[in-house]
Order: sequence, then C-alpha cells, then structure tokens
Amino acid sequence: MRSGHRVPTLTPAMIAIWAAFATVPLWIEHIGLYQYLGVEILIFATYALAYNLVLGHSGLPSFGHGAFFGLGAYGFGLAQFHLVADLWFCLGAAVAAAALGGAIVAAFISHRRGIYYSLLTIAFGQVFWFIAIKSHAITGGEDGLLKIARLPARLGVVSFDLTHNISLFYFVLAVFVAVSLLLWRLVHSPFGRVLKAIKQNETRARFVGYDVWRYKAAVLVLSAGLSGLAGGLFAMAQSSAFPDVMSLHYSGYIVMMTLVGGGLVTFWGPVLGAIVFLLARDVIGAFTTGWMLWFGMLFVALVVYRPEGLGGLFLRPARAKPAAAK
Amino acid sequence: MSLLPHLVNGLALGLLFALLALGFMLILGLMEQINLAHGSLFALGAYFSFAIATPRLPLPPDLLHAWAAVPLGWRFTAAIFLAPVLVAPFGVVIERLMRRTYGRDPLYGLLLTFGAAMVIEDLIRIVWGTRDYMLPVPRGISGGFLMLDLIWSTYRFWAAGFAVIAMAVVWLVIERTRFGALVKAGAHDSEIVQALGHDLEKLRVWVFVLGTMMAAIAGVILAPIWGIRPHMGVDAVIPAFVIIVLGGVGSFWGAVLGGLLVGMVVGLSGAYASEWSMLSMYLLLILVVTFRARGLFGKKSVLEA
Repeated sequence: MRSGHRVPTLTPAMIAIWAAFATVPLWIEHIGLYQYLGVEILIFATYALAYNLVLGHSGLPSFGHGAFFGLGAYGFGLAQFHLVADLWFCLGAAVAAAALGGAIVAAFISHRRGIYYSLLTIAFGQVFWFIAIKSHAITGGEDGLLKIARLPARLGVVSFDLTHNISLFYFVLAVFVAVSLLLWRLVHSPFGRVLKAIKQNETRARFVGYDVWRYKAAVLVLSAGLSGLAGGLFAMAQSSAFPDVMSLHYSGYIVMMTLVGGGLVTFWGPVLGAIVFLLARDVIGAFTTGWMLWFGMLFVALVVYRPEGLGGLFLRPARAKPAAAK
Repeated sequence: MSLLPHLVNGLALGLLFALLALGFMLILGLMEQINLAHGSLFALGAYFSFAIATPRLPLPPDLLHAWAAVPLGWRFTAAIFLAPVLVAPFGVVIERLMRRTYGRDPLYGLLLTFGAAMVIEDLIRIVWGTRDYMLPVPRGISGGFLMLDLIWSTYRFWAAGFAVIAMAVVWLVIERTRFGALVKAGAHDSEIVQALGHDLEKLRVWVFVLGTMMAAIAGVILAPIWGIRPHMGVDAVIPAFVIIVLGGVGSFWGAVLGGLLVGMVVGLSGAYASEWSMLSMYLLLILVVTFRARGLFGKKSVLEA
C-alpha cells in the first residue's frame, strides 16, 4: 500500500481529458461524424467508468451490468411519465432504480467471486431483461418506452434547454466530469484501498478484519447506481428506453469497452474503450453491416495477446503495470 | 387441466436441454473453460444442417440438383453427421486462441469466447442474412400422433430419444475409454499426465472438438423445434450455462439432472403462464445456488479461485 503517498484530486491528465471533450462539438462535424455521436460516447464513457469500479478496481467480473443501465433508462422514463417531469428528479429516479436493482443482486451474490460471480450476474441480468420484455403494460415490451422528453435543466432561476444535441452534450459532459471526479476520489480513498485488497486476495482481506461482503455489496450498489445514471442520460438522449440495452449482448459490450480500453490497468482506460468501440461501430459499420465481426476479432486478439488493453500499450514503456489504475 | 401432458412435455424438453448443455459441460468439466461461444457453435450446426438438408450448398448446379433429388430422410441424416464435422474447425480455432489463456484467470477464457461468439454471430448474419429459417423434418418423424386423447409431436419424442443416445455415447467416452480417463486425469493434474508422456495439448484439442461437435449436433436436432435465426446462439448458451451451474460444474449426472429440472420447470410454468416460462429457469437457478453454492452435484473447481 502506498500509504502517505497522496493522490491529488485534480491531475493534469484528468483536466486534459475534460478539456479535450469540451472541444468536441467544435470539430466533430468537420471530420465527417455527427454531434449525437459525442453524446453517446460520453454516456458510454460514464457507464464504462462506473462499470470499471467493479471489474477493474474490485476484481468482480459482472456480466450483467446492462440490467442496471436499463433500469436507469426505464427509471428515467417512468418517473417522467408517472411522477414529476423534472430533470433532476428523473435522474435521481434512474440512479435509485438501478441502485435498488444492484442491492437485490448484491444480496444474493456478494459472497461469490470469480467465474461464479460472472455466471450469477448473467442470470440476474437475464431476469431483469426478461421482465422488461414481458411487462408490456409498464415498459412497453419489446417496443420500449417511447417519447421520453429531453427535460430542461433547471438551476434556480435559469433553465437550460437540452433538446439540441450540443447543449445535451455539455450537460452530459458535466455529469461525466462529476462522475469521473467522484470515482477518482473513491478509488484513491481508504474505501478504494480495501477494494484493491479484495481484488488482490479476498481471503487475506477478510483475515485482516474487513467485512468483505459489505464492501463487495456496497461497490456493486454504487456501480449499479452510476450505471443507472448513464442509463437515464441514454434514455434522454435516445428519447426512448429499450430492453435491448439489458441483453447479454449489451452487458458484454460494456465489458468489451472497459477491457479494450485497458480498464484493468488504468483509471481512464474505460473512456478510451468507449471511444474506440463507438468509433469502430460507426467507421467499420460504414463499410460493412457486420462490424462486430471485425471488432470481435480485435477484441479476441486483445484478450489473447494484450489483456491489459489499449491503455496498457501506452503505459507499458513509462511505468510498470500495477501503478496507474489503483 | 391434467398435469400429465405437461410433465411428459417437460421431460422431453428436459432431455433436449440436457443435450444442449452436454458440449458446454464437457469443455467446462474437463478443461475448466467457460465456452460462451457454445451457443454460436450450436447455431452454426443448425445453419450448416439447413444448408445440407434443404439443400443450399455452394456446389455446381448439376451436383446440387442430384443432391436435391435424394429423399429428405437421407439429406437430414447426412446433415446430422456432416454438420458437426463442418463446425469442428471453428472449435479448433477457438481452442488454439484459448490455449494462451490457460493458467490465467478463467475470466479471460470467458471473454475470449464471448468475442468469438460475437464474431460467429455476425458471420452468420453476413452469410445467411437476418431472416428466420425452418429445418424441414423427414416425413417418417414429422407430424403428430394421438395418445391419451391428446396430439403429441412425433419429432419431439424422436429428438428426446436421440438426446438419450447422445448422452449415453458421451458418458461412455468419458467414463469407459482410455481417452476419457486421460482427459479427466489431465484436468485433475496436468503435470503428472504430461510427465507420463501423454500429449496434453492434443488431448485438449480433442476435448474441445468433441464439445464443439456436441454443440453442433444439438443445433441440428433442435433446429426443427426452435427455428434457425442469428441470435439463436445467445438464446441457447444461457440455458446451457444455467443447467451446468444448477447441476454442478464438472458433474455429468448433474448436467443431466439440471437439464431435466430446467425442462420440467419451463414445461410446467409454461402450462400456467406461458409468457413467463423462460423466467422460471433463472429463478430456479438463483434459488438452488443460494442454498447449494456449487449446485446440486458440484465439486470444488478452479472457477471459485
């Protein structure tokens, strides 16, 4: 443990990443892409960072995170339709719905680890997905919830209209900044140190006296809640919520993004992964309908030859493996 | 409404589920690798059998006409034997790639095969498109028959019978042959087996090929019942893993019992709430695993590390 070594709240890399994102709407259309892609990338980057809290930082290979993202999306839509059509309230509902889902799952699986953890998260993910598809009356079944409004962001006397992609982009960027800052602080806090200990050796962490079950449950709830926040933003961006995002495919995609970017070795890896994944989808997808064929092969090659992901390639010469992420 | 027909249907369905899980069980039990591409290999089996039986093969027109003139019974039989052989090379490639993850966290095997599943699924979409197909069944085993004043599907019973035979063959191979003994010994203690002069790498390839062919056979047999579509792979791999975790990793009889239980539960719940029947198997899994952490017959395995 690097006790005494304090990690600054703001790092140059962090500010550089935020600043780089802030310029995206200025040039994204000039390189042949479109504004909405920026929104999507930021949402999935937020989601991937939240997911990496369990995978990269705690060593818990969840394969059912799509359920939490989807719960957030439905939570946002349903709160808007049936309760109060206020942005902050609906985003809160998204977080709450997903965190509640996370708590239910955590209650059943927090004593598990490794592959069994993956398998049980797959099972729970399927349960939520299945319920979403079959509850036509509430979720709209396979058609999904449609006509979700992009609510204005009210801040006291001022109110920002988010119906345009550029204004939505900056709103999502603000959320991304807040979430990444929160997670950065969290993984470098005493709580984060315990997570790291659990990742390295759960039995030892337990013997040292930590209540491992509680930490594992807490981190899943937290990660689920933040994934739900991303899901709520996605519902707003898409103006709809679909059961698709809860499927095994989508749960796998977020694992792919996180791993491809190098989430196992660096904090910002998942962000890189989300960018690469969505760019690949659009760029490869422009040439062929089977873009996943090529991306899947890239993914397989990475798992086989460079499990530390793209982020690991950049870090490799500069620092030894364990340094950055933890 | 009498319960009996649902029990019989559940039993038949359970045998088919057990057949579906068999290849997954082999690779997991003997190699301690999760093969998430199992469903995609299953799907490939179904598509290849469709290409062979209907027939839609890339052959010269004369040859294709000649083959189309052969009775469906023969074409269907040929599909059962040929489709697994055609799918086997995919398994070999996956095993080749997977080899580099042996000894590492089994999570990497799971991720790798998830990637492979995505690749195969898109490959299927490119070659066959996104539409649904139906594999025709020879007249001798199609249609239905009357029993207890009810109409039963002949093919379902035929398929369930086939599943029993396939399971018996796999059991014989694992339990009663030298190959099975070596593979089991290799899973238990690879160093000793290698020290005794056996080529473990070769054994592993064969196990993977066997698992792949079992997946493909299940795909052929189940295609006339479940239909053929690109995402059938993902639809199939999940029951397979539910069955294995339920029955206990590494246990042959656990897989069979798991399959029967899932079939029964899906069959019975289908009688009362058909919309929700597939949900019941996850609830069964969660229930069983909450009280019996390793499933019904599970042993301690590398997966818990």
